[in-house]
Amino acid sequence: MATKMLIKQCKIELLRVIRNPYYVFWSLLMPVIFYFIFTRIIDTGGDMKEWGAHYLMSMTTFSVMGSSIMTLGIRLVQERTEGWTRFMQVTPLPGWMYSFGKMFGQTVMHLISIGFIFGACVLINGVSLPPLTWVYSALWILVGSVPFLAIGTLIGNMKRVDTASGVSNAIYLIMALLGGMWMPIETFPSVMQQIGKWLPSYNYGNGAWDIVNGHAPDLRHFLILLGYLLLFMVLSTYIRKKQEVV
Amino acid sequence: MDSIIELKQVSKTFKDKKAVDRISFRIAKGSIVAILGPNGAGKTTALSMILGLLEPTEGEIRVFGKPPKEHSVRHHIGAMLQEVSLMDRLKVREVLELIRCYYPNPMDMDALIAMTGLHGKDLNRYTEKLSGGQKRNLGFALAMAGNPDLLFFDEPTVGLDIGARRRFWDQIREFAKQGKTILFTTHYLQEADDAADRILLFHQGALVADGTPEEIKSVIVKRSVSFLPMEDGSEFRRKLASNPVLSNFSEQDGRIVIHTDHTDQVLEQIFAEKLGVREIAVDQGRLDEAFEQLTSIQEEAV
Repeated sequence: MATKMLIKQCKIELLRVIRNPYYVFWSLLMPVIFYFIFTRIIDTGGDMKEWGAHYLMSMTTFSVMGSSIMTLGIRLVQERTEGWTRFMQVTPLPGWMYSFGKMFGQTVMHLISIGFIFGACVLINGVSLPPLTWVYSALWILVGSVPFLAIGTLIGNMKRVDTASGVSNAIYLIMALLGGMWMPIETFPSVMQQIGKWLPSYNYGNGAWDIVNGHAPDLRHFLILLGYLLLFMVLSTYIRKKQEVV
Repeated sequence: MDSIIELKQVSKTFKDKKAVDRISFRIAKGSIVAILGPNGAGKTTALSMILGLLEPTEGEIRVFGKPPKEHSVRHHIGAMLQEVSLMDRLKVREVLELIRCYYPNPMDMDALIAMTGLHGKDLNRYTEKLSGGQKRNLGFALAMAGNPDLLFFDEPTVGLDIGARRRFWDQIREFAKQGKTILFTTHYLQEADDAADRILLFHQGALVADGTPEEIKSVIVKRSVSFLPMEDGSEFRRKLASNPVLSNFSEQDGRIVIHTDHTDQVLEQIFAEKLGVREIAVDQGRLDEAFEQLTSIQEEAV
């Protein structure tokens, strides 16, 4: 019974992910279009082969970060404000299964994004990496998305869908820009570089760049991401407690 | 142990506002009970606490003899909340199947489909593409998905036309006959009167009356007997004042109005005393008027 419920819940969340046209456009097509523009149309100079692999990771992390923050956050707000979450609380579905289904949907969504963007970029630029490098970078991108899912959950506490979508958009784009996902951070003025290096987006992307360059992600990236995760979780718990009191 | 729901001195305070104030009642199996009250009377708050969605500040709630948050309680309840919302990007049939699989003894799928009133192609439509009325019908079917013994409806007929309303209540009566217990909120006195066999009257968070619709009506409705006196004068008025049954009177547009709970007794006295009166009128009181009065008092207080 419980297993059946869990499988059904996962299946349903997956169906909803695949049927989401915004996801297909923003998380799959946009990064590939960006990739095409910045590796084929605009000549950025330097080693094209290295840049092709580097920018591939930029775009994949960009995509996965986006669906973690925006898709999850906005969806949570939507389901709560429209009363669906309340309805689910009345049913026998345990809360953890509801969340698990959501996380499962997100994870599969990220796997699809990684596979799609990796594949598209190979087709566009013929990027070739050792098989293990592909696997490691995919794993890093998948696991490293957790702090961004925590941001999504934080945004999920907001009262209105409009605010949530505005705020998550802003966070997403600012982090992508300052974190060097569009342009390498080295091209920025030094103040912005200093700020950027402390953002979760930079550390997320840079971990994947490290893997492409043939070595394990710097411990610093790992620790900073972990620190952010803890911070967001504490914030989330605090906000939830505060909301319960009211 | 025939009470399905039991509340003991339950209160809920939001910040500094007391939304529900020391309410106690029991609900028996197979009854249709209305929580009646104007907006802001604490109806939804009370319902949410019984459903386990809100924790009472004080007091104790038992549903099937257990705390409402207990998991086993959820197997036997179904609810349609005020705003019916549906998971988007799912087809009608998929949502029904999803909710059904949460329960150990779900209602038959064909019976649920019949409740939605949807046929053929519509069952494969996405929920967000349904009309408002279709969404409500689906919401109703979702509440019934687990074949619950206890049903909750928060303002169930708001926005329904008369025909849909009647169909809804016919169905509810059928469920009550099967032994299901129904608790619903409404701010329409008429609806509570028509549909419920017991009314809990809420006013500013407190339970001000509890009884059958007849009993509730006798509490809040003001009855009177009025007439035109044939010979007016202080003598006539003195006669009225000295009779305990007739003494509570006032004047309105030349007519004398006697306020009473028992109009029959007043008539008896008028004839027994051989009072010179004509055009006697008995007013059994208007429900909605009395209820409106209750509502306006509440609004003034806010």
